[in-house]
Amino acid sequence: MSVLVVVERQPGAVDELSLQAVTFARALADGAPVHALVVGAHADSVTPTLGEHGVTTVHVAEDEVFASYAPLAVARATAELAGRLRATAVVAAGSERGNEVLAHLGALLDLPLAANCVEATSGDPARVTRLRWGGSLLEEADLHGDVKLLTVAPHAVSATHAPVADTSVERFAPQLSDADRVIRVSARTQAATGGVSLAEAKVVVSSGRGAGSAEGFGIIEELAGLLGGAVGCSRAVTMAGWRPHTDQVGQTGTKIAPDLYIACGISGATQHMAGCKGAKAILAVNTDPDAPILASADYAVIGDLHEVVPAISAELRKARGA
Amino acid sequence: MPVSALALATVAAVALTLFARRALLVLRLVRMGAPLPRFDDLPKRVENETTIVLGQKKLLQRVVPGLMHAFIFWGFVVLFPTILIAAIYVIDREPGLPAASPLGWIEGQGWFALLVDLFCLLVLVGIAAAFWIRKVQRPNRFQGSHLGEADLILVLITGIVSTLLLWHASQIALGLNEWGADWSPLSNALSGLFGDGTATEALERALVWAHVLIILSFLVYLPYSKHLHITTAAPNVFFGRTRAKGRLEPLDFEAADDELRFGAGTVPELTWKGILDTMSCTECGRCQDVCPAWATGKALSPKLLIMNLRDHVFAEGPKILADESFEPTPLVPNAVTDEVVWDCVTCGACVQECPVSIEHVDHIVDLRRHLVMVESRFPAEAESMLRDVERSGNPWGKPQDERAAWAEGLGVRVLQPGSRPPEVLYWVGCAASFDERARLSAESTVKLLLAARVDVAILGPRESCTGDPARRMGNEYVFQSFAKQNVATLDEAGVTKIVASCPHCFNTLANEYPDFGGRYEVVHHTEFLADLVARRRLRPVATDKTITYHDSCYLARHNDVLAAPRELVAAVGQPVEMERSGTRTFCCGAGGAHMWMEERGSAINEERVREAAETGAGTLAVACPFCTIMLDDGVRQTGRDLRVADVSTLLVEALERSD
Repeated sequence: MSVLVVVERQPGAVDELSLQAVTFARALADGAPVHALVVGAHADSVTPTLGEHGVTTVHVAEDEVFASYAPLAVARATAELAGRLRATAVVAAGSERGNEVLAHLGALLDLPLAANCVEATSGDPARVTRLRWGGSLLEEADLHGDVKLLTVAPHAVSATHAPVADTSVERFAPQLSDADRVIRVSARTQAATGGVSLAEAKVVVSSGRGAGSAEGFGIIEELAGLLGGAVGCSRAVTMAGWRPHTDQVGQTGTKIAPDLYIACGISGATQHMAGCKGAKAILAVNTDPDAPILASADYAVIGDLHEVVPAISAELRKARGA
Repeated sequence: MPVSALALATVAAVALTLFARRALLVLRLVRMGAPLPRFDDLPKRVENETTIVLGQKKLLQRVVPGLMHAFIFWGFVVLFPTILIAAIYVIDREPGLPAASPLGWIEGQGWFALLVDLFCLLVLVGIAAAFWIRKVQRPNRFQGSHLGEADLILVLITGIVSTLLLWHASQIALGLNEWGADWSPLSNALSGLFGDGTATEALERALVWAHVLIILSFLVYLPYSKHLHITTAAPNVFFGRTRAKGRLEPLDFEAADDELRFGAGTVPELTWKGILDTMSCTECGRCQDVCPAWATGKALSPKLLIMNLRDHVFAEGPKILADESFEPTPLVPNAVTDEVVWDCVTCGACVQECPVSIEHVDHIVDLRRHLVMVESRFPAEAESMLRDVERSGNPWGKPQDERAAWAEGLGVRVLQPGSRPPEVLYWVGCAASFDERARLSAESTVKLLLAARVDVAILGPRESCTGDPARRMGNEYVFQSFAKQNVATLDEAGVTKIVASCPHCFNTLANEYPDFGGRYEVVHHTEFLADLVARRRLRPVATDKTITYHDSCYLARHNDVLAAPRELVAAVGQPVEMERSGTRTFCCGAGGAHMWMEERGSAINEERVREAAETGAGTLAVACPFCTIMLDDGVRQTGRDLRVADVSTLLVEALERSD
C-alpha cells in the first residue's frame, strides 16, 4: 500500500498547499511510502523540499503538454501512476487546480472524490471530515472505492517536516491520447481593466447612478488609469446595464480592500458599503452633504463628480508633468 | 338479465377498472412522499373544504372565470344523481323506480327537475364562457398549459349535458317523464323537436346510451389529464395549510437517520402533500398571472414549476415503486432548473391565488434546502450574506456592538442582563439597525412610543438576525440555531410582548418561533401605533397630500395586517390605493433573501414603483425596511418624483404639525 500526492508547483518551489497535502498524506499513509507526482520541465528541482516533507519517491511525468496547465493530462498521468503503484489513496491540495485534476481523475477511474477534507482515516470505507459552507460546517462522510480520492482543505493542516533519507526520482512518459491534451491553457490575456483586478487593486475609483450614463464613466476610467487603479460601480449602474457585474462593488458584487477608495456619486447604500468596508481610506465625492457615505468617508468633496473628477485628473497630470 | 344490462355492466366494468388502476397509482405515488403533519385541526379543514371547494372562494376572486367554473362545478354536484338515474334507464326504458328509494324519490320531485334544467343551462353557459375565455380572450396565464386537453374536456362536458337535456326532452315527448313537464321548461321546450313515434323511441335509447358512454369515457380520460383535479382537488384543499400562512414547516435535525431529511432532492423526498399538489394542478395559471418573477421576465412560473414536478413524479414514481434499487435522479436541474428555484421571492401570491391550495413556496424552499444544505449550490453572491448572518449575527456583517448606534440620544432603554422586563420590547431588526434608509423608521417608532409614554426597551447588541433570510435561502440549520439563541435571550429577558417593525422579523417571531418554544404576543409597529392613535394617545394632523400605501407581502399576505397601516395613512394624509393591494399586493422584490441576490430580467421594484406612480400620489408609504430600500432604489432607478417613507416616519411628521 502507498499514497500518491499530486503536487503543484510555483516557479521554483512547491506550492504551500501541496506541502500541506503531503503532510496530510503522510498521516493517511501511516508509515507506508508517500509518492509524489510532479509534471513539466525541471520538475525534479523540488525533490529536496518534498524529501524533507516525507516523500519517498518523486515521479516526474514528462510530456510537452505539461508546459502549460493541462488538468485532464495530469489526471491521466496520475491514473496511470496510481495503477502502477497500486496506490490506496490519491491526495491533492484543495486548490482550484487540485480539485479540478482530481475531479477529472474521479471521472477517469469512475470513483468518488471527497473534496476539502480536514481529516481522514484509512480503512474501507474511509471516514472523512470535510469543510462545508465556506468553513462554517463540518461534514463527516464515508468514502468508498478501491482508491480513495481526496483533496485537502487549504490550511486544514500545517506543513511539517519529516525528512526521508534518500528520496528517489523516477521519470516516465505517460500514455496520453489527443483528447487528453485538448484541455490546456492555450493563451493568457490581461483582463480589460488594464491588468488591475478589482478585488486586488490598491486604488479603486467607482461611480454610481450619478455618472449619468455608460459614457459618463469615461472620466472615472481616466482617473483610475492615472492612479493605476481599477474601476468599480454600484448596483444601480449594473442594473442600468452601464457596466458589467464584474465591476460591481458591494454585498452581492466584489468585496474590495484597496488603500484608497474613491466613491463618486455613490450614496452609500448598506449593500454597497458591505463591499468596501475593507478599504483603508475612503474619499467620497457627492453633491448631497447628507449622503450616508459621508458617515464612513475619511475625506469628502461636496460637489458634482463631473466637475470634481476631471479636476483631480488635471491636477495629477500637472503634478506629473512638472 | 337483459342484454342492455349486460352491455352496461361490461362497459362500466372496463371503465371503472381503468379508472381504478390509475387512481391506485396516484394514491401509491402520494403515499411515497415524505411525512408531513396534516391530520390535525379538523374544524379548520372542514371550513376550508366548505368555503374553498363548495363555496369556490378562491376561484371567485376573479369574477368571470370564477363564475364560469362555479357553474360547471355546482352543476356537476347537482346533476350527480341524474348520472345514476340515467344508468338505470339504460337497462330499462321504464324501470319504475320505487318512490321509496332515494333515486326514485328524487326523480319524482318537481323541484329537482327544475334544478336539473337550471344547472344544465348554467353548465352550458359556463362552457360557453370557458370557450370564450380560451378562444377569444386568451389570457397569458394559459401560456405553457395543455390547451388541447382542456378543449377536449370542454367538449366532453358539453356532450354530457346536452345528451342529458335531449334525453329528458325525448322522454317528455314520449310521455315517459315521472315529473311534471312544467317543472322542466328547458327540456319541455326542446321536446318540441321530437315526435312521438318509433323514431323518437329509438332516439331516446340512443341519447341515454350516449349520455352514459360519454360519462364513462370522461371517467377514463380524466385521471390521465389535467382534469385529474376533479378527484384530487377536494382532498388537496382538505389537507392544505391550516396554520399561520407565513410559517414554514421546520425540519427535524434530531430525527432518526432513516427519517432525517434535508429538503427535497428527489421525488420521494417531496412531502406527500407536495406530490398531491402536483396532481391537483389544473394548469389554470392564476399563480403565473400574479407571480412577480414571471411578470418581470424571469424563468420561474409557479405553474410550470408544479407541472414540471408532476411530470417528473409520473416519469420516475412508478419506477421507484416497482424497483427498490432504482435511483431517482435529482429534481434540480432535471425537473426544474436552478434558476427557477432561486427566482422566487417567497411573496406567496401564487399560494394566495391557487384555487386548489397548492403550496408552491413550501416546495421551492424545500428544493433550496436540499441545494444549500446538501450540495452547497446557490447563487454565489448570496454566500457573504449567509456567512455574515452566521458570523456577525446580521446579513451585512456589521459589528454587533453597533446595533444600537441608531438609538443614541433617543432615550430608549437598552436591556442589560438582569434588567427589569419592559412592558413592550421593540424588536428593531437588522435592516433598521444598520441601514441608513431603514433606520429612520426605527427612530420614528421609538420617538412615537416614548411620546405615548409606552414602557419600551430594546435588546441592543443582544438582538441578532432572526434567521429569516437564511431560512428562506434554504439554510434551515442556521435558522434553527438563531431561533433557539433568540428564544433563549428573549426568555431570559422576561419578554412577553414584542413590537416588530420588520414584517420578516414579525412573521418569524410570531409564526415560527413558537415551534422553538418562543411564545410571545407579537404585534407589528403599525398595529401598535394605530392603536395609540385610536386611543388618542397620539394625535396626528392629516394634510391634503395623497399617499399610496404599499402592502408588504409578509405583513399583508402572510399575516393579514391590512387595516392598521391604512388607518395610519388615513390619519396623516389622503390615501389612494394601487391596483394591486391588500392581500393581493405585488412584491417589492426583496423577499426570499432576494435582498442579497442579483436580479435578472427587468426589476421587480421598478415595476412596483411604476404602479405606485400611476396613482398620482406624491408619497409612497411603506411598513417594511426591505420595501423601503427596494422601492427607494426603484424610485431612483426610474427617476420618479415620489417620496418613499415608512408609515411611522409620516406619523412623526403629522404629530409635529400638531405642535
